[in-house]
Amino acid sequence: MTPASLRFLKAMCVAAAGSMVLAACGNNPTTSTNLAADQTLKFPILGDFGTLDPAQLNAETDSEIAQNVFNGLVKFDNNLNIVPDIASAMPTVSADGLTYTFKLRQDVTFSNGDKVTSADVLYSWNRAAAEQGAYATNLAAIDGYAKVSANTVNGGAALEALLEKKDPSVILSGLSAPDPSTVAVKLSGPAGWFLSAIALEATTAMIVDQKVVKTDFDNWWTKPETAIGTGAYKISSYVPKTSIDFAAVDNWWGSPKPTLKKVHIDILGNAHSAINAYEQGSYDLYGYGGYSNAPVDDILRIQGTANEKSQLLLHPKVRTTWVAFNLVHDAKRPAAGPFLCPPQTKAMEDTCSTPAGAAAKNLRLAFALAVDKTKLATVVCHDIVCAPATGGLITKGLIGYAGDNTDPLAKFDAAQAMSLLKQGDPDGSKTKGLTYTYDPNNPLNASVAQFLQDQWQTNLGIHVDLQPVDHSAFIHGYLAGKYVLNRQGWQADYNHPQDWVDNLWGSITGCPDANCGGGYDTKAYDDAIAAADALPLEQAIPKYQAIMKTLEDDAIYIPLYYSQGAFLIKPYVKGAGTNNFFDYYWNQIQILSH
Amino acid sequence: MLTKGTLVYIGQRLVLIAFTVVAVSSVVFLGIHRLPGDALMSERLRGSAYQALLHHYGLDRPLLVQYWDYIVGVVTRGDLGESLVNRGLHITPLVLRELGVSAEVGGLALIFTIGLGLTLGIFAALRQNTWLDYLLTTTSVVGYSMPNFVIAAFLILIFGVWLDNVTGGNFYYQLGGWRGDIGQLWLPAFALGFPYASIVARLTRASMLEVIRQDYIRTARAKGLTEFLITVRHALRNALIPVITILGPLVIGIITGSVVIENFFGIPGLGKEFAQSILNRDYAIVIGVFTMYAALVGLANLVVDLAYVVIDPRIRY
Repeated sequence: MTPASLRFLKAMCVAAAGSMVLAACGNNPTTSTNLAADQTLKFPILGDFGTLDPAQLNAETDSEIAQNVFNGLVKFDNNLNIVPDIASAMPTVSADGLTYTFKLRQDVTFSNGDKVTSADVLYSWNRAAAEQGAYATNLAAIDGYAKVSANTVNGGAALEALLEKKDPSVILSGLSAPDPSTVAVKLSGPAGWFLSAIALEATTAMIVDQKVVKTDFDNWWTKPETAIGTGAYKISSYVPKTSIDFAAVDNWWGSPKPTLKKVHIDILGNAHSAINAYEQGSYDLYGYGGYSNAPVDDILRIQGTANEKSQLLLHPKVRTTWVAFNLVHDAKRPAAGPFLCPPQTKAMEDTCSTPAGAAAKNLRLAFALAVDKTKLATVVCHDIVCAPATGGLITKGLIGYAGDNTDPLAKFDAAQAMSLLKQGDPDGSKTKGLTYTYDPNNPLNASVAQFLQDQWQTNLGIHVDLQPVDHSAFIHGYLAGKYVLNRQGWQADYNHPQDWVDNLWGSITGCPDANCGGGYDTKAYDDAIAAADALPLEQAIPKYQAIMKTLEDDAIYIPLYYSQGAFLIKPYVKGAGTNNFFDYYWNQIQILSH
Repeated sequence: MLTKGTLVYIGQRLVLIAFTVVAVSSVVFLGIHRLPGDALMSERLRGSAYQALLHHYGLDRPLLVQYWDYIVGVVTRGDLGESLVNRGLHITPLVLRELGVSAEVGGLALIFTIGLGLTLGIFAALRQNTWLDYLLTTTSVVGYSMPNFVIAAFLILIFGVWLDNVTGGNFYYQLGGWRGDIGQLWLPAFALGFPYASIVARLTRASMLEVIRQDYIRTARAKGLTEFLITVRHALRNALIPVITILGPLVIGIITGSVVIENFFGIPGLGKEFAQSILNRDYAIVIGVFTMYAALVGLANLVVDLAYVVIDPRIRY
C-alpha cells in the first residue's frame, strides 16, 4: 500500500468514525431509518380548549397541548427531574435562598422568528401575575407578588397599557433583567417549591411574545397567526369545537428536533366514539391531551382482544380521591355534623387529637376503617382505572409518597370500626341522618358513593343518604364549608408536596375568601406548612411527611383511590407515552412505516 | 305569487319573529342565571383568580346590567357574547357555523321525511288492501312508534358494530371535519327523518284515498288521461294540502330532534352544542343556541306558511 493510499484509508476511517459519532450524538431520539413518509400524528380529544394562553390556562387537558407550543426557563423532563429549558443551565441560588439567577440560551426564538430575551421573561411573568389566572400563585414566591395580585385592572388593553409603561401596580418588584440574557428573581421569602412551580408546563411561567400578545391581549392564542410560542409546534389551523392542526416549527432551537411534521387533533365529545375510531384506524393514539380516563368497558374489551391489548398502556396519574369530613362549625362554615374537632383558637395546639376530640376522632376512624379500599378498587374500578390509596394523600409515584400500606386510615377492619363507633356514638344518635355529598358528573363518583353507602351500612349499620350535586355547585358548596361528609380529591399540578399541603387544609387555603372546605386549621399545622415550604426539597420531604402523618393521626379523611390513566398507542408510533403528570412531548414521537 | 299582501305578511311575521327571539333569549338569560353553580368554578380556580374571571366576563355586575348589555349586543351587533368555558370563543360565528352543519343534516332529513313519506303513502293508497299496502302501512306504524333515538341506536348497532367491516364505522360525522359528506350524513338524516316520514306516509295515504275517489278524478279518467298524470297532476296536488299543514310541526320536530341525533352521531351542529353547553354550564352559549333555535323555528314556520301559497292558489295573504 502506498503512503498516499494509506493516508486516504486513514482519512476514510476518520470520516467514518466521525459520521458514526455524529449519528450517535444526533438530536433525534432514535435513528430510525424506517420512518413513514407521512409524519402526521392524529389523535382525538374530548373537549375544546378552555384556553391555551399560559397566563389563564386552568386545565390539564389544555396544558397537555400547550406544552408543545410554549416553554419556560426550566421544565420537568420525562423522568420528572427539573432541567433547563430556555435557561442555559440551572439557576444559581444565593446563599440565603432568596435570589435565583437564570442565564438564557442565546439561540431561542419564537416561532415567528423573534429572539427571546430577558425582557420577554419579565413581560410574561408580570402579565401572568397581574392577570390572576388559576396558576398565578405559581409566581407567588416572587417579591412584589402580593401587590400585583391585588391589582383591579380588568385584562385587555388597560392591563397591556400598564405593562407597557411598567406601572408598579403590575410589575413584580423581585424581577429584574441585568442584561438581555440574564433574569434575576428575588423571592419575598425562602420557597423550596419555586423551581417546581415555574417548571409546570404550559402555565404562568411560560414565555410569550409581547409583540403578538398586544395585538389581541385576551384572545391572541385563538388565531394561528398570533398563537406564537417558543415550542416545537405552532398552530396551523383551528376550527373551534371541531379540530386543530399543528405544524412543526422550522429550524426549531430545542432538541430533539421534531420528526412529526403535523399533528391533527379532532375535538370529539364521546370517549366511546373516539376509541372506536382509534380501533378502526382513524387515529394513532388515544389518551393524549389529558383524556386518559377511558371508559372501563372499553378497556376490558381491548384487554380481551388479542391484537389490541399490547397497544394498551395503563399508567398511574396524579390524582387521589378521598372522603372529607367537616371538622369545624363556625360563622364561616355552616356545616356541622358529628365529626367536629372541639372549638379551638389559633393560640391552641391541635385540638383534633386532644381527649376532648377523642369521641369525634373515633367516629372518623370508624368510618374510615369500615371501608374496604381494596374491594372498592376492584368493584368500582375493575382494578384498572384506579388503585387503592394505601400510602397517604400524595399519589403513588410522586415525591412525598409515604409508601405502600403506610396509611393507617387505608386499613379495612370492620370489627375495630364497630368498636370505635360504639365508643364515639354509643346510642347512634350522632350518626343518624348523615348525608354524603358528591358530584355525579364523573360516573366513578356515583359508583363510589353507592359503594360507600353499602360499606357503612354493612359494617357499621349506619344508613348514610347520598346527595348528588352538579360539579360546579358541588365545588361552590365544598369551598363554602357546606358539607358534613363529601367526596374530595386533588390532582397534583407539579411534583412537589407543597402543591398538596398548600391547597387542601390550613389557613393558607384562605377561608372565607377561597376555601373553607373541611376546616382543619390549627396553628401547629400552619406553622409546619410554612416551615416545610421554606426548605429545599431534600430537607423538606421529612417535614411534609410529618404533616401528612398529622392528618393521618387526626383521621381527617378516608383515603379511597389513586387514579390511573389508560392510553392506546399504535405499534408504529414510537416515542409516545406518559409519566404521572404529562404526555411525552410531540417532538419525541416518530411514525414508523406501517 | 309575491303580491303586496304577501310581502306585508312576510314583513309582519319577520317583526314578530324578531320579538319572539328577543323574548326567548330574555327568558333564558334571566332563568339560567338563577341556576346554582357556574362554568368557571373548579378545584383550582378560587379566591382572587375566580373573582378575576368573574370580572373579566362582567359576571360580577348586577344581573339587570348584564341583561341590558346582552340585549344591546344582540339587537345592535348580532353579538351573542363570548363562551364562558372556551375563553375567547365568540358565540355568534360559532352558532352560525353549527347552524350550517345542522342544516345539512336537517335538510337531508326533510328530504327523507317528504320524499319517503310521499312515496310510501302514494303507493299504499294506489295499492290499497294489497300486500304492498299492508307492508308499507306496517312500516309506517313501526316508524312513528319508535322515537328517533331508538332508531339511531339500532342504526349504529347495525352499521357501526355488526357491519363495521363493511362501513368502517365511518359514518361518524366528526371524521370528515366540520362539514360532513353525504356518506356520513345519510344515516343520521334517516334516523332523524324516518319517524316523520312515517307520519307523512300515513297522512298521504289517507288523503290520497279520499282524493282518488273524487268526481274530478273520475272525469280525468273518462278523458283518457294516463294513470301517472292523474296521480301526479290531479290527485297528488290536492292530497298534499293536509301534508303541508303538518309540515310546520314536522320541521320543528326535526330541528328539535337534532339535539338527540347530533349527540348520538357526534355531529358538531347546533343540537350537540345545545346539550354540551348545558352540561358545561356555559350559559352564554346556551342562551345563544336557544336564541338561534327560536329564530330557526320562527323562520321555518314562515316558510311552511308561504308554501301554502305555492300549493293552493286559493290561499292568499
